[in-house]
Amino acid sequence: MVDVAVVGAGQTKFGNHPLGLKGMWAESTENAFASIDGDFDPSMVDEAFIGSIAFGGGQIGNTAALLTEHTGMDNIPVRRVENACASSGFAFRDAWMAIKSGQADIVVAGGIEKMNDLSPERKRFWLGVSGDTEWERLAGLTFPGTYALMARRHFHEFGSVHDDLVNISVKNHMHGLDNEYAHIRKDVSFDKAQNGFMVADPLTLYDCCPTSDGASTVVLAADHVAKKLSDDPVWVLGSGAGSDHLALHDRPSITQLIATQRAATNAYNQAGLSANDIDLAEVHDCFTIAELMATEDLGFANRGEGGIFAREGRGIRNQGQVTINASGGLKSKGHPLGATGTGQVVEVFKQLRGEVESNRQVRDASHALTHNVGGSGATCAVHIFGRELK
Amino acid sequence: MSSNQCVNWQGNLACLQQEGLVIKSRHTIDGIHVFGPDSDYTTLAISGLSLLSDECDIDSISVDENIDQFVLQACGYLIDENSVWSIQCSVDNACLSISRSHELDWDIEGEEMESEFHDSISKAWAEEMTAVSQGAFVSEQAYRSGASSRINFSSQQLGDIRIWPPREMIGDQRPEEAPPLSQGGVVESWTKLSAGGAPSEFSLRAPILEGIGTVFVRLDDGPCGVFLVADDNDGEIAIGSRVSFAVRKIYAQDGLIRYGLKALL
Repeated sequence: MVDVAVVGAGQTKFGNHPLGLKGMWAESTENAFASIDGDFDPSMVDEAFIGSIAFGGGQIGNTAALLTEHTGMDNIPVRRVENACASSGFAFRDAWMAIKSGQADIVVAGGIEKMNDLSPERKRFWLGVSGDTEWERLAGLTFPGTYALMARRHFHEFGSVHDDLVNISVKNHMHGLDNEYAHIRKDVSFDKAQNGFMVADPLTLYDCCPTSDGASTVVLAADHVAKKLSDDPVWVLGSGAGSDHLALHDRPSITQLIATQRAATNAYNQAGLSANDIDLAEVHDCFTIAELMATEDLGFANRGEGGIFAREGRGIRNQGQVTINASGGLKSKGHPLGATGTGQVVEVFKQLRGEVESNRQVRDASHALTHNVGGSGATCAVHIFGRELK
Repeated sequence: MSSNQCVNWQGNLACLQQEGLVIKSRHTIDGIHVFGPDSDYTTLAISGLSLLSDECDIDSISVDENIDQFVLQACGYLIDENSVWSIQCSVDNACLSISRSHELDWDIEGEEMESEFHDSISKAWAEEMTAVSQGAFVSEQAYRSGASSRINFSSQQLGDIRIWPPREMIGDQRPEEAPPLSQGGVVESWTKLSAGGAPSEFSLRAPILEGIGTVFVRLDDGPCGVFLVADDNDGEIAIGSRVSFAVRKIYAQDGLIRYGLKALL
């Protein structure tokens, strides 16, 4: 079966972006196309998948047709992919499958979200649309509340403490400080993160990712095309995805994400790798507790030991076996919902090719992982990348 | 029926009498009983009926226009204007009687509430009634179809397993209807959301209440659920705490108040 590589990847700066949907998509796509080493023309793209929640409702229907029209990808099959915050993780998987199936040679996967042009009131409406509306939202829960319930239970069952989450926050802000694409580029001290404004007890402002505007674009190609387009393609070694009950009350445990575990198992098996082989991982830290649980669910730490992993600084860049969120993660880099998944791919593409700022470079990285979660864990996509084919 | 047994019941003050029951909000301003931040005549009526039902069988009841009949029906009561039982709401007090004869009365002191707080929360509820959803909408149809589960813990059964909230299919089987769950459980986790972290449906009241409390509860019959904590709950929330439940107002939208079970600690 055909192998698939990423041959180009680009994004906008995440944050309060001055441009609208069309402008942001054009910027990220231009950046992605410019990163392709060989001769490339947008008309070579066979198909496109664009992840977005369509936050704010500005362009819900036919989003993908509107965006590709403005980036020279005319008349090809396109669609919007929606799986909450995992939208573009799944758009990437769809693009990979389109090539794997032999139906396409060059496919664009991307994501986009415009979140900061809404009134605070309208923003609050949209921030809860991916949870269980009928039961959880009617019980007053948005995602800060949902993850707060998970955090407190994890503390209770495993002895993790809020300071473990503080360590994650401090690490990710440190990683994102020099990332020119990051939303929040500031050093955050332990003391400051420890004493942040309480959003959903026990989670403070420093445990929560920001709401960001942004777009990200990735170009995938079949092996026979990839070698012509790229001097240094990044190979997709494994793609896994999973789902779980939407509402917390239907899950057997609220201190782990089964969807992540299923997606990771599939991706590792496909790649013939384990967590021990991963040099850097971009994990979905919409809240710091989400990163703590992800380190367990992805196999970097044993069950219940995510707090110890964070306490010992084992995810800090170039200090442990694996660097967690070299980009700054959602916490610092930002979280433009639909753009986050392929935004993670942009980071690992550049890291594996040695193209990030020198002080952000993860040394000797040969394998990377992306982990993109929808909502509180109802959906998850995990991808594994390598510099070399198996 | 026992006579003149007076109790604190679901955050209210209730007095069982020979011919029925009187139930009052425990909150007062200048000695006049006023509703709590998430209470009204309907929540008082359901609370009173649940207490009275332990003493006698009430299949049907007549009500006045202050009571949301749908909510009483969701709790299993038949509304019948010829019933021997009637609910009589006090005109100028957060108080009602449920009786087989005349309107009952009972004098008892409540807890003074700050009038400024009461005015703010009442104004917020009135404003909320005109609110229109912009997303994540629980329609009137969706609310009504799930009401008996949300208000009365109606459940399902599949083999030995009790199911709540209701599900359509589990594997290739459809669970069967089952009696309501018992109204108790244990807190497995909890949070208190700041006003800014609460859903927009609560954005008018959350700042006045200084945030909203939510608990994740393992119910005594097995299922888990997420519940708001009653706005005037006085108990301390902690993992392992036992909770009971009472019907309270959740939020209003499009001219309709959504009621549901809230946790009391």
